Order: sequence, then structure tokens, then C-alpha cells
Amino acid sequence: MQGIIVLDVDMIDINIWSILFTVINLAILFVALRFFLFKPVRNIIAKRQEEADAAAKEAEERAAEADRRKAEYDKAVAKTEAEREQILAEARKQADDEYRKMLAEARSEAEIIKKDASTEGEKRKQRIISEAGKEIGDMIASATTKILGNVDESKLYDAFLNTMEDEK
Amino acid sequence: MTEELMEKLGVKKVFTIPLFGGIPVTESIVVTWIIMAVFIILAIVMTRGLRTRNISKRQAFIEWVVTKLDGIVGGMVHGRATVFKEYLITVLLYIGLANIVGIFGLKSPTKDMNITIALALMSIVLVEAAGIIFLGIKRRLHKFIEPTPVILPINLMEIVTKPLSLCMRLFGNVIGAFVIMALVEIVVPIGIPMVLSVYFDFFDGFLQAYVFVFLTGLYLSEAVE
Repeated sequence: MQGIIVLDVDMIDINIWSILFTVINLAILFVALRFFLFKPVRNIIAKRQEEADAAAKEAEERAAEADRRKAEYDKAVAKTEAEREQILAEARKQADDEYRKMLAEARSEAEIIKKDASTEGEKRKQRIISEAGKEIGDMIASATTKILGNVDESKLYDAFLNTMEDEK
Repeated sequence: MTEELMEKLGVKKVFTIPLFGGIPVTESIVVTWIIMAVFIILAIVMTRGLRTRNISKRQAFIEWVVTKLDGIVGGMVHGRATVFKEYLITVLLYIGLANIVGIFGLKSPTKDMNITIALALMSIVLVEAAGIIFLGIKRRLHKFIEPTPVILPINLMEIVTKPLSLCMRLFGNVIGAFVIMALVEIVVPIGIPMVLSVYFDFFDGFLQAYVFVFLTGLYLSEAVE
């Protein structure tokens, strides 16, 4: 009996004020959590997402820019390569021409030198021959003198003259 | 012993606000205020100095909590009812802590039927208001005879049975778990109560919070479609 009375008093005691308080409390808690918890956390997550998206977009743009630059660079390299090839070919051709020209010049010069050398040789031969003649003359003279004995040259000369005169 | 148990089950008046002929403030209301204060202070402390980069562990934790709660409650509401997600999370947090607050030596507010009545009333008012706001009064009234007019009495009854079941389920589970725990503690004071407490205080406490919010979410999703 006693238990039932206590139960009747306390356990199921509908109190309109408690209900009203709870409704107000829940509303306050909802607003407070919305303002202090959900809003800031969601905002920061959204902001981070935004930043990540922006970073991803920027990275993509940069990659595209890099690709573009690489293509440009490749093109430039290819162009340079072609130019280099052309310049080299030209240079080779020019060098070849120069070589041929120089070779021809050298050849003709060599020809001239050869020719000159042969005339000079001839001249020298003639000179040697004439010199040799003269020398032979002198040798004959000296040999004659030696054969004739130690005659004074002047005397010989005189003798010669005399002879010549005698013969006359 | 019976009196002691009854004392624990009862809801005492803590003080009276001298307005309108005296407004009684019960234990459950005071405990609710404590729960609110805990949540609000935690929310303020945890969300201080939020950054987008180099976040603190505190921020990582609160972001994880909010994302997780969003995920849990997000699975309960569909379509246009997702606008009520934050209200449902609030209710989930409140009932969740209210159910286990007995561990900290406080009286669970959900052990007071007035609290569960208020929660159930808020749920049904929200459901009906959402139905009318989202569908319009004509469409809402037409829903009473869908799919066939025969079902009208059942649909009308549902307006009462939905909040009644919400209220009674929560209250009954919490009070039942409490009574069982109190009785077990009398019979076996050491060891077993701790093991059972994990189930009755924690598991059942959170489960009932989840069930309450799940059903409210279900009703809301139904109402706005």
C-alpha cells in the first residue's frame, strides 16, 4: 500500500512546467549547438574543401602550363637542331669548297714552283758548265805552268810576248 | 529498501521560481541544464581557433565527431527531411548523455516522464509542421486517406500513437534498466553490476537515444515526401 502511494506521488507525475522547460531547453541547446558547433565546424570543413579545390585547380593549371612550355621548348629544340644541321651542312660545304680551292691553288703554285725550279736548274747547270770551263782553263793554265817549270809568270808572259813578236 | 528505490525513481522538486504562482523546477530540469552546459561549453572549447591547415588534435577530433554524427543521422533522414539533421543530432546528443548521466551520480532526466513527453511532443509537432510546410495543408490532409480512405482512422490514431510510443519507449527503457540495475546491485553488490551496467547504462542508453532519433527521422522523412 505504501509503495503504491509513493509511486502515485512521484513516478508518473505529469508536470506541465517540466514539459515546457524541456521544450525551451531543447530549443536553446539546438540553437547553441548550431551556432557553436555545427556552423563553425561545417564552415571550416567547407573552407578547407574550397582551398583544396583551389589548390587542385591551380596544380592542374600549372601542369597544363608546364605541358605547354615543354611543347614550346621541344619545338624550339627541334628548330635549333634543324638550324644546327643546316649550318653544319653549310659549313661543311663551305669548308669543302675552300679545301678544293686551296688544293687547286696549292697545285697550281706547286706547278709554278716546279717550273721555276726547272729553269733555275737549267741556269745553274749553264753557270756550272761555264764556271767549270773557266776553272778547267785555269787548271790547264796552272798545270801548264807547273809542267813548264817554275817560270815566273810575268816572265812567261814576257816570253810569250816575245815569241809572239818573234813569230811576227 | 523499497522507499530508497522509490526515492531514486521519483523526481524531486529542487526549487520553485516565484512566478505565476510558483514554477517548480525539478531535478531532471536541473540535470538537463547541466547537460546543456556541458555540451555548450564543450562546443565552444572544441571549436576555438579552427584552421584549415595544420589542425590541432582537438580540431581533428571535433571535426570527426561532427562528421560522424552527420553520417549517423544523415542515414536516418531522406530527401527534404535532411534540413532537420541538426535538430536530430541535438536530440541524439541530449538523450544519449541524459541516459548515461546516472554513472556520474546524477539522476537521468529521461527517467522523468515529463522529459520524454516533451521530447515526443516536439518530435510529433515537428513532423506534422514539416508535413504541412513542405506539402501544403491540402496535400497533408489528403495523406490521411492514402492509399485508401479505409485507413483514415489508423492514420488519425497515428498522430497520437507515434508520440506516445516514442515517449513511453524511452521512458520505459530507461526506468526499466534503472530498476533492474538497482535490484541487481541489491542482490549482488560486486562484480556483476559492473558487467550489466555496460549493457543497461551504456548500450541501452545509447540505443534508446538512437531509436528515438531514428524513428523521429523516419516520421519526418515520411511526412515531407
